[in-house]
Amino acid sequence: MADEFPFEISPMYEGERVRKDGMFVELGGPKSMGLELVRAAEMDAIVDDKVTIVGPDIKDMEEGKTYPWAMVFNIGGELVEPDLESVVERRVHDFVNYCQGVMHLNQRYDVWMRISKDTAGKIDSLEAFGQAVMMLFKTELPFIEKMQATFYTDEAAVKEQLDNAMDIFKARDARTKDLHDEDVDVFYGCTLCQAFAPTSVCVVTPDRVALCGAINWFDGRAAAKVDPEGPQFELAKGEVIDELSGEYTGVNEIAKKLSGGEFDRIKIHSFFEFPHTSCGCFEVVGFYIPEVDGIGWVNREFQGMSPNGLGFSTMAGQTGGGKQVVGFLGVGVNYFYSPKFIQSDGGWNRVVWLPASFKEKIAETIPADIIDKIATEADAPDVDALKAFLLEKNHPVVANWAAEEEEEEEEEEEEEAVAAAPMMMPAAGFQMPAMPMVSGGSGSGIKLTFKNAKITIDKMIISEKKAKK
Amino acid sequence: MTKVIAITGKGGTGKTAVAALLIRYLSKNDNFLLAVDADADTNLPETLGCEVVKTIGDAKEALQEEITKPKPDHPDMNKESILQSKIYEIIEEMPGYDLLVMGRPEGAGCYCYVNNLLRGIMDKLVVNYDVVVIDTEAGLEHFSRKIIRNVDNLIVVTDASRRGFRTAERIHELVDELESNISNIHVIANKVTDANRDKIEKLAGDLKLDLIGMVPLDPKVEELDIGGIPLSELPEDSAAVIEIEKIAKKLGF
Repeated sequence: MADEFPFEISPMYEGERVRKDGMFVELGGPKSMGLELVRAAEMDAIVDDKVTIVGPDIKDMEEGKTYPWAMVFNIGGELVEPDLESVVERRVHDFVNYCQGVMHLNQRYDVWMRISKDTAGKIDSLEAFGQAVMMLFKTELPFIEKMQATFYTDEAAVKEQLDNAMDIFKARDARTKDLHDEDVDVFYGCTLCQAFAPTSVCVVTPDRVALCGAINWFDGRAAAKVDPEGPQFELAKGEVIDELSGEYTGVNEIAKKLSGGEFDRIKIHSFFEFPHTSCGCFEVVGFYIPEVDGIGWVNREFQGMSPNGLGFSTMAGQTGGGKQVVGFLGVGVNYFYSPKFIQSDGGWNRVVWLPASFKEKIAETIPADIIDKIATEADAPDVDALKAFLLEKNHPVVANWAAEEEEEEEEEEEEEAVAAAPMMMPAAGFQMPAMPMVSGGSGSGIKLTFKNAKITIDKMIISEKKAKK
Repeated sequence: MTKVIAITGKGGTGKTAVAALLIRYLSKNDNFLLAVDADADTNLPETLGCEVVKTIGDAKEALQEEITKPKPDHPDMNKESILQSKIYEIIEEMPGYDLLVMGRPEGAGCYCYVNNLLRGIMDKLVVNYDVVVIDTEAGLEHFSRKIIRNVDNLIVVTDASRRGFRTAERIHELVDELESNISNIHVIANKVTDANRDKIEKLAGDLKLDLIGMVPLDPKVEELDIGGIPLSELPEDSAAVIEIEKIAKKLGF
């Protein structure tokens, strides 16, 4: 790849392990301090290809010893901006590892390197190493026009760099936490779960973590960059169809493709309409409770029953498999922290029940005006108790009950009520949150209104009426 | 090319002792060797004279906990590089070889992502070595999860018991079902005495198993075992050591 360097440079050295026996020195790592940092700088502030070493260089180092380590790269170019710093910084690991006899692990303030005896024997300064790494950066990321490196091995200097970097990392984290769906052009898809949920379409966006909770938008980006053919891949967001429910042309296209045509629409922040598919790995499952027109959630760790009489595993069994199951939704815990949390269906104002331990775990993300109005197994072990609790606390869903009743009463004057009361729906056959209207033979349709009635139905068959001739 | 040898068998047949002796011989021979304990009931380190406490299981668990935290501290951290670093850190650097312990089985929750990362890391790690020796339980879980993808020689250790041989037979079937990349399967009979030698040969022949060696019952091995002394202390002229050398040569070393 590059003949001018005294050691070989190739991606095949990635993952190379320099063993203790073959090691000349260790830089940073578990026994010391190790830092790497990339900073954007003005073009004229950078001396291209320059390597500065603060502290002992290879020729001054003692074999077998561990030295504190900090490497700071300055990058410049017309397209270079501070937002790119962390993206470029993540590549330090790759390019340092491409150098034969150099082992690089971890990132940020946990960097751990080893230089082999072989490679140390070929160079007496870290300058060649620094230049090799910068050559790789400029070749692979051509938007970097100028680059310079400073390596620190002096303890006090490393400490100073580390302290300074901590503030930079903190500011960066704050920025990444502030990234939203509307700020990006691409989302990421993941097919890891298709092994057992063949029609599962997992869409990972800044405001929606993968259902398993393990993959966020940044992980998608990192993985897709390393292996675009791998299980996580880039997905162009496309046009916005509906911002509130999170419907995008790009997501719909990928939904159709990944599900083998089973689904052609997915609204990523919707619970009721074209919800995200549920794989089987999800950390939390949401369930609609028709009696109160609200949504309850139960997490994998919760052993008890939710007010609908079902536990996590039963609901997970029905919801999983990569289907769009209206009335149930699998999500990752992190999704509760999303500002777009089921926003097309009322967000937190629609949440009526959570297991107590889970509620406590995510308490900081629950809006203060609703937290006390959400019931747990202690307040509401069943639907009747839940109803009473919500009424007492005046949960936002209660307003919907009143609206519905009014509507019903008005209509009642015109029509005779057929029967009444919300039904205890067995979850098994439960597909829609509301009863679908079925057209009768006359073409005018039917209307069912249940009021204050308790009906138990073992089986209900609704079929088209055969026309009599 | 890295040669991967996996050693398995029914519990109590002495598979870990066979693995330890093979590691001892191969690491003396200038091979760059990685020993992997892939048995949840971690015995290999002790048999080799190492008191390893950290395992891949712990590293996976720690990462899983970190990444499924409701509010990750650093959302854009590269998790593969974190896991790789953790694994490189727990590799125990023994004289002449490296030792890696898989450790405890997975907890609840979804490990698809973490295991997928682990696969990539193991692929890169394995090529660092001339030879990898894996001590694994008979269920071959790490192979079914494809954490370790290619095996050149799978060795089933058995004693003279019918049950030991049954396990060998079942492993044969399992390997076919796993569709894993396991090239050759051999059997090593362990704790062989003059009284059971013929019976073992006949059993292996009947079951059409490739009997690659017969390690004699060695009182010195038992002695060290009972005393909790690592098998590296076994003298060069011990009968078991000599037979393992012969087997290694048959495997091309």
